[in-house]
Amino acid sequence: MWLVARREIIERGRTRGYLVSLLFTLALLVMAFVLPSLTRGDDTRRLAIVGAPPANLRSEIDAAVIRNKAKFVISEVPDRATAEAQLKAKTIDAALEVPADKSTSGTLTFQEAPDATIKEVCYEAVVIVRAGPDVLQPPETHIITPPSADESSALILATAGIILMFIGIFTYGQWVLTGVVEEKQSRVVEVLLSTIRPRDLLVGKVLGIATLAMGQLAALVIVGIGISQLSGQVTLPATTIGAVAQLVLWFVLGFLFYATAMGALGSLASRPDEANNAAMPVTMTATLCYVATIVFVIQSPGGVLAQVMTFIPFSAPMVVPLRVALSAAQPWEVIGAIVVMLLAIWLLFEAGARVYAGAVLSSGSRMRIRDAWRARR
Amino acid sequence: MLEIRGLTKRYGRVTALDGATLAARPGRLLGFLGPNGAGKTTTMRCVFGLATPDAGEVLWDGAPIDAAARLRFGYMPEQRGLYPRMRVADQLVYFGRHHGLRATDAKTRAAALLDRFGLADRARSKLEDLSHGNQQRVQLAAALVHDPALLVLDEPFSGLDPLGVATMTEVLRERAAAGVTVVFSSHQLDLVEEVCEDVAIISAGRIVASGGIDDLKASSGRRHLDVEIAGAGASWPGSDGGLTVLERDGDSVRLLVDERADLGAMLASAQARGEVRQFSYGPPRLSELFMDAVGDGSSAPDAAR
Repeated sequence: MWLVARREIIERGRTRGYLVSLLFTLALLVMAFVLPSLTRGDDTRRLAIVGAPPANLRSEIDAAVIRNKAKFVISEVPDRATAEAQLKAKTIDAALEVPADKSTSGTLTFQEAPDATIKEVCYEAVVIVRAGPDVLQPPETHIITPPSADESSALILATAGIILMFIGIFTYGQWVLTGVVEEKQSRVVEVLLSTIRPRDLLVGKVLGIATLAMGQLAALVIVGIGISQLSGQVTLPATTIGAVAQLVLWFVLGFLFYATAMGALGSLASRPDEANNAAMPVTMTATLCYVATIVFVIQSPGGVLAQVMTFIPFSAPMVVPLRVALSAAQPWEVIGAIVVMLLAIWLLFEAGARVYAGAVLSSGSRMRIRDAWRARR
Repeated sequence: MLEIRGLTKRYGRVTALDGATLAARPGRLLGFLGPNGAGKTTTMRCVFGLATPDAGEVLWDGAPIDAAARLRFGYMPEQRGLYPRMRVADQLVYFGRHHGLRATDAKTRAAALLDRFGLADRARSKLEDLSHGNQQRVQLAAALVHDPALLVLDEPFSGLDPLGVATMTEVLRERAAAGVTVVFSSHQLDLVEEVCEDVAIISAGRIVASGGIDDLKASSGRRHLDVEIAGAGASWPGSDGGLTVLERDGDSVRLLVDERADLGAMLASAQARGEVRQFSYGPPRLSELFMDAVGDGSSAPDAAR
């Protein structure tokens, strides 16, 4: 079994296809993160000064804007209520209120996420204006509706993870599929099966390719986290490590499950071009689960559908990491789902190997799964 | 020694093997003959555990074959049996390791075999980049890499050029001389007659003849008489003697005669017609034995593979 797995790793890892797909997905990931930050477009910041500020605040802000090479549109509003109304209407990005007597550094108010440039500009200006003993005190930052930073970036991560999972399972599942048919067609399988059991051949192949897929996933995760940290677009929530670990775990489980199913069904085909037809039931089911996950489970990760799908092996690899990332799964649900999944994988190894053994040595046209199941070698 | 006893295998309603029994002895080449669909490949698959017989057994040195015994077998399936996109030397090492060789031994053996077949410089090429003949050499090397005690080859000579046939023959003979039991199937009867000591002929799932080629010939009741009479054309032997004419080509004629035929009288009769240039009496050719044994069994269903 390990011999088979080793061959898959070495032979396929060496192919140009693997390296290209690795680089391609990495490039996609980089683009996905970098492009939005490049095309954010309008970088003019709108700041309102509230009430009666110290006399030179406006000019110091202008100076600080120039020093920071930023573009500001500065307005004045009579009172805090007006400022908050404008913040809510998003006609301004932030409101700065500094008492005329300069007794404090005042407050800087944002509607949602604070903006680093506005904070910096206001800080510099207020420090110069006050020039007092506690000058280094920045304006107190106040946020009206603090966005749950954790939630939004968790959602991004989880969604990206599910998409990666789906693509990964199918890219590498395809390798298992074509690998099985190739061995069947070239009769290599006859030589191999005279020395090892069909189950070992099938499982070894799946494990070998799973290792390669893991390599690619690991590269993606590391680069992805690195980029998101650098671009500052996604603030990694505290639960990230757990969520990523779950994602990786479920990728492995999902891959073992789906790839084994595809390998077993692929053995029914007699030519590579038939293989995709043979694997159709699996790909259809997976696509259905994927769509259901993206459309429904994301809406209500704690809902009944989500709970049910947690315990169905076909959908669990996509549903569970999503729910974990959104903190919508109970620990017992996760553990239960893992147990169900492991059981399903083990069953599939046995059942898949039986179909595989019945079908892979047949020649002639495509077999039906029932015949393969019944075929005693 | 490989013994196959009463092997029966059905695929649905098709009976592929129907009580086939044969034995292959070490140090000898056994040619396994039969029309398409007679059960040759199924028999080989039963030996390698690729098919489970419905009845009967396969014995190696008197014991049922288990996984450990199978590691000492080498199998060359009918088509390819190698990875097209894998490097030649890597494939040999891979198959060697599947047969229980350690990595270093497998590498040494693979290199030695490639050297032997003149493919040392192609060791790092992908299989699909090799010529057809060279691919078949690699295939043979893959079956030999673990130095098997039993070598089973399905149609090893099909598609080989005369040079390839010569190499294959040489290697098989050499293995047999080293004490290996060699079984191969073939449709090239003249080649089998030349290469093998033993044959087994299978028809519709039954072994209809088996044993040493010479013994089979000797025990066959039929004899052949080849006669060439200058200028006699089609006139001899006429229709009087009740002799069966098998072939007639100009002045030459090949007759089927009885073991007890009176050769002296026949020679006299021939000489009366003209100058006798050839008068040779002998056992049938293997191809004739084959046709006799198989009879009309060549209509066996093709699905039985």
